[in-house]
Amino acid sequence: MSAPEATHPLAAVATPGLRGAAGVAPLRVSLPVRETVQVMVRRGREEAFAAAMEASFGMAPPAPGHTLAGGAVTAIWIQPGGFMLTGAGPGLAERAALAFVGLAAVEDQSHGRTTITVSGPAARAVLARGCRLDLHTRAFGPGRAAMTQIAHIGCLLHQVDDAPSFELTVFSTLAEPFFHWLVEAGSGDGVVIA
Amino acid sequence: MLRIPCPHCGARDEIEFTYRGDATVARPGPDAGVDAFHDYLYLRTNPRGWQAEWWQHSSGCRAFLKLLRHTVTHEIRAVATATETLEVPGA
Repeated sequence: MSAPEATHPLAAVATPGLRGAAGVAPLRVSLPVRETVQVMVRRGREEAFAAAMEASFGMAPPAPGHTLAGGAVTAIWIQPGGFMLTGAGPGLAERAALAFVGLAAVEDQSHGRTTITVSGPAARAVLARGCRLDLHTRAFGPGRAAMTQIAHIGCLLHQVDDAPSFELTVFSTLAEPFFHWLVEAGSGDGVVIA
Repeated sequence: MLRIPCPHCGARDEIEFTYRGDATVARPGPDAGVDAFHDYLYLRTNPRGWQAEWWQHSSGCRAFLKLLRHTVTHEIRAVATATETLEVPGA
């Protein structure tokens, strides 16, 4: 299906370096290469889908609000019967399409979505300026995921590790205004763009 | 500001939802006549009290939910998925 985009949607604005103040605990931002594949299970085929997922990707479909990582692919629950598969690729969409023939609708969203990774001790405080979810360790954690709005922009958020690191997946057309918000929200302690 | 307990996602802020009106309205049959369709399209009870209403979790899991909400106090007493039924208590 899709080759990587020749130009990253944030190439013009996300130039490496420090933005804002030079604080002691800046927010670290990076732009990972991600293939993003949306999978929607056909009604009544949930069990066959789970078996196919186990056979092809070595993991069960994640529970609501959770992610599961199997090798280089991470599956994220986004809605009842709906999952997002992400990985460094290439060929994830083809793999998923072959694995789920007749069981699920598979759509390659790699060009339509852009993933931004934020990490560091400042990450929760910065996200809290635009995100209405409780990301405190008591309520959220690694392996948890949520579809929500951040700064009024629809965003798929999932926590990767305890650093804490979060992956934010937004529509590519809104990635630039989202990125501007992120840099503004983090400017107090600085934003280091890798 | 409401906190709506989505059965799939947990309690979420009202801003993630889209209000879709009275959930008790039923479309009349094709031969019901123009008066029945006029009522179906335009007439609402506008209760002061409990109301079953549609809320779509449009910025979350996209699911259509039925909510039992009090129109004066905004208390949310029950939430159900689209295919489930909600009993609406008297005012």
